[in-house]
Amino acid sequence: MSVSLLDELGWKKYIGSDTGSCTGEPVSARDIRRYALSIDDPNPVYFDDQAAKNGKYGGLTAPLAYVIWAVGVPGSEKGVKDLGEDGLASFIGVPEIPGVWTLGWVRGGDEFEFFKPVYVDDRVTVNGKIVEMKEKDGKSGKLVFVTSEFTYTNQNGELLARQRVTMIGTPRKES
Amino acid sequence: MSNQVYYEDVLEGQDIPSIKKEVTNVNILMYLSTVWLMDRIHFDYLFATQRRGLPNVVAPGPMGGDYYAQLLSEFAGEKGEVRKMSIQFRNFMVPPDVLMCGGKITRKYIEEGKGFIELDLWLKKDNGANCAPGKGLVRLPVREAKTS
Repeated sequence: MSVSLLDELGWKKYIGSDTGSCTGEPVSARDIRRYALSIDDPNPVYFDDQAAKNGKYGGLTAPLAYVIWAVGVPGSEKGVKDLGEDGLASFIGVPEIPGVWTLGWVRGGDEFEFFKPVYVDDRVTVNGKIVEMKEKDGKSGKLVFVTSEFTYTNQNGELLARQRVTMIGTPRKES
Repeated sequence: MSNQVYYEDVLEGQDIPSIKKEVTNVNILMYLSTVWLMDRIHFDYLFATQRRGLPNVVAPGPMGGDYYAQLLSEFAGEKGEVRKMSIQFRNFMVPPDVLMCGGKITRKYIEEGKGFIELDLWLKKDNGANCAPGKGLVRLPVREAKTS
């Protein structure tokens, strides 16, 4: 019987724990415009003030899934020498629990529920907690699945979105 | 001009209009720059291939979620709204993939007077493989009850 990786890491006690809270700087028209360009979304509401005012939200809003980036990537604004080899200082979706960077991570999937869009000038706050951990034996080694739930609110405390993210970790190979 | 789709206009089993997305190094870099994501697997070819064993630089998975959000937003129109969207990452999106982003209505129902549409979603590469299966829930407007 193989040893449980979650037991080895001692991670089960973190189920239910907070991943911390973070508030981003105001979302700018530039952020929204460039994001829409990057995903090739041609909707004029992202580029034209009048179209935005006449549109369903009555003002400039970001594409729906932008909400996860509106807080910034917590802890990622660091100089090159403070980043890990892969260019990451931290990664929302991978909670900062001891030993987390002994694994290599890929994103398994996201589930979103949308309530209100992000408007230009909004300051978005994220709160999160780890809700589930699973493991299984994969073809090339053990896999752990860590699911976190995040709640996004604006400066008025209004709920914008909820997101569940599952990250899949596997022990890094010796290099 | 309105291309608004109403709850009554759609059928279970029907495909919704699809959109084509091209995965390019330039789009990936635009996305990374805007969100300030410095993960080298997305822009550093030698790192991605030699250190991480990937076939090429790979697009950030969340871009697939953005494609689904656009697909569903366009389907919902001015009078509808996107309530839920989910995506599972199966295969990386890699330049120069050309993806067909589309969906099929699996269920429609009325709840508390509102019209809801459930969808299965796909991001299909040239070979037809769905690299990121997804699901959506959209509220569509219901037409006024007509008197006959």
